[in-house]
Amino acid sequence: MKAKHTAGIVAGLVGLIAPLFLELPGLNFAGQVTLGIFLMAGCFWVMEPVPIYTTSLLVIFLEVLLLSAEGPLVTAARLPSAPARKVAVADGTPAWEVPTKALKNDRGVLLERPGQAPQSIEAKIVQRNGETVWIQAAGLGESSRVISDPTHWLTTYKPTPYRTFFASLADPVIILFMGGCLLADASVKYRLDRALTSLFLAPMGSAPSMITLGLLLVSATLSAFMSNTATTAMMMTLVMPILAKLPERDPLRIAVVLAIPVGANIGGIATPIGTPPNAIALAALTKQGAHLPFATWVLLALPIVLITLLLAWLVLIWLYPSTSREIQLGFQDRFERTPKAMGMYVVFGLTALLWLTEQQHGISSNIVAFLPIVALPIFGIIGKKEIHNLPWDVLWLMAGGISLGTALRDTGLAEWAVRQVEWSSMGGYAIVAGLALFSFALANFLSHTVTVTLLAPIAVTVGATSTEISGFSLANAMVAVAVASSYGMSLPISTPPNAIAMGTGVLETRHLIRAGGTIGLIGIALTLFMARFYWPLFLK
Amino acid sequence: MSQIFILCVEDEPEVLEAVVRDLAPFEPLFTIEATASADEARRVVASVILPAGKLGVVVCDHIMPGEDGVSFLVALQRDPRTAAARKILLTAHAGLEATVEAVNHAGLNHYVAKPWKAEELVAIVRHQLTEFVAAEETNLIPYLGVLEADRLADRIRQAPLPGDE
Repeated sequence: MKAKHTAGIVAGLVGLIAPLFLELPGLNFAGQVTLGIFLMAGCFWVMEPVPIYTTSLLVIFLEVLLLSAEGPLVTAARLPSAPARKVAVADGTPAWEVPTKALKNDRGVLLERPGQAPQSIEAKIVQRNGETVWIQAAGLGESSRVISDPTHWLTTYKPTPYRTFFASLADPVIILFMGGCLLADASVKYRLDRALTSLFLAPMGSAPSMITLGLLLVSATLSAFMSNTATTAMMMTLVMPILAKLPERDPLRIAVVLAIPVGANIGGIATPIGTPPNAIALAALTKQGAHLPFATWVLLALPIVLITLLLAWLVLIWLYPSTSREIQLGFQDRFERTPKAMGMYVVFGLTALLWLTEQQHGISSNIVAFLPIVALPIFGIIGKKEIHNLPWDVLWLMAGGISLGTALRDTGLAEWAVRQVEWSSMGGYAIVAGLALFSFALANFLSHTVTVTLLAPIAVTVGATSTEISGFSLANAMVAVAVASSYGMSLPISTPPNAIAMGTGVLETRHLIRAGGTIGLIGIALTLFMARFYWPLFLK
Repeated sequence: MSQIFILCVEDEPEVLEAVVRDLAPFEPLFTIEATASADEARRVVASVILPAGKLGVVVCDHIMPGEDGVSFLVALQRDPRTAAARKILLTAHAGLEATVEAVNHAGLNHYVAKPWKAEELVAIVRHQLTEFVAAEETNLIPYLGVLEADRLADRIRQAPLPGDE
């Protein structure tokens, strides 16, 4: 085991336990536990002592064990209660004997309610008897019980049902993403991806700079619906045999191998299903009751995608101008015409149409996503093999982030965290820009999904007080965080498409840093611009 | 990416030279080692190839002074470090007994009859290298330009990809 892994495990365990021993005024025990889980997950995701999706599963497990109503911790920590005993009748109002320690600040008691959080009721003290006290209070009855320890953490935390934590594995946004994955798998199975590539690149001719542009556009288009990684792998299998025919020293080789991951990373921004960070951002928004329709996302993202693609093209042909006059691609893939392939085109087209017209018909894109999940297997277009091949690790990685968001909200940790910072002293745009820059910085070193998973709760907590901050919109912040993460692409480790490009043996790391870094900086600059001037037009 | 070697064993210098010349197209990605006898080949495997990488393909003459080609290939097949190597036998006259021995015990992958055409040998070695790389390597993309692209592309498309974008 590497030293880094050991350090990750130690840091994670310290993070898990430390909050329990800290004085955190205003944060109850459940919040402390959640903070511990959050810190542990952060350490594990950053240092990766275990694969990142397993950290997500661990998060869900810990939440169920430590925070859920059915978990052993909450079950064992039953709220202590005592019966209220009717004692005497003074001036017609009944008085009740309760333990003295049940009194809250001498002002009231907490009434136990089966299956619900205790209710705080006002009480007037009639007589003190040391251990017990006689009180008069409206709401007490013959069978009433009062909470005998009003400072107990369960009085301020209503435990979340364990179903809620497990439900993150099938969160509507996970379903949305799963629908996208199945469509992509079906497209690959019937070679729609290759046929589209041939179709797009044919009009680009044989001039090297146009081919670079064509590859950027095709990679971006495919990765808007497929995973960026799968797009890059597929495109590489197409172009590598052609690169082998180019002169060894032609910089066009570098430009082409860079165009594919760059195009794929940028294209992933375009739709909610383009890349997991987008879906995480949407899930966080939906939890806050701010649903963002599929078409709105596309409307927000498409301009920045197109501008960055164009600038990326200029950067690539400027950094790596070709020494060849022309190259023949010779892609000959045609659209399959078998009944199953035709069925796939219909399902794909119908789903995409319904996604883009959400505002007209009002059916959520999450619901529409179930159409391909049902239709593709029913018509035998995909089978068990494709279902087994779904990227379960990605779906679980996302689920961990979603359930962490639930815990942060339900335990009050989010609200507590917001109160620790004087947000209102900052401008709304400054907060959005800060989050976007932080996301971009982290995403160069971390998985983009993890970056957004860690930053989404912060954005959401700020959003909770957004009414006090002028110019802050939670939706704007979440979109900016997600978009910024996709521009983190300057290093081989930044994201799997980069790793694939490095694996071709054509690139050196400095090529990736130069091109990916330049294009990434352009992208983040555009993100800040959009967050200031364009996105607020659509996001209140 | 590990270094993958092509080992040629042939006692006649002109023939050895021809084999090495024919296989030159693989040179940028693969390293070719030319040896004149089974003994020398064994030394090269132990002192050059295994310390630096993997033995991918052996192109071996059958009848040589000293140890013959089939016996050398059988020895390679028995050694777990070289068992995965694809084995090609060059032969002018394949006797039944030697053929049976080579197929049954040396895991022989291909017979090439002497004399051969350059394209024929290149195609055979390309196919065997493709099979070796597809079975032994995880990153197949660098080989797409030199080996059988369709076969490798199918493998790449079927392989699980990292998903943590």
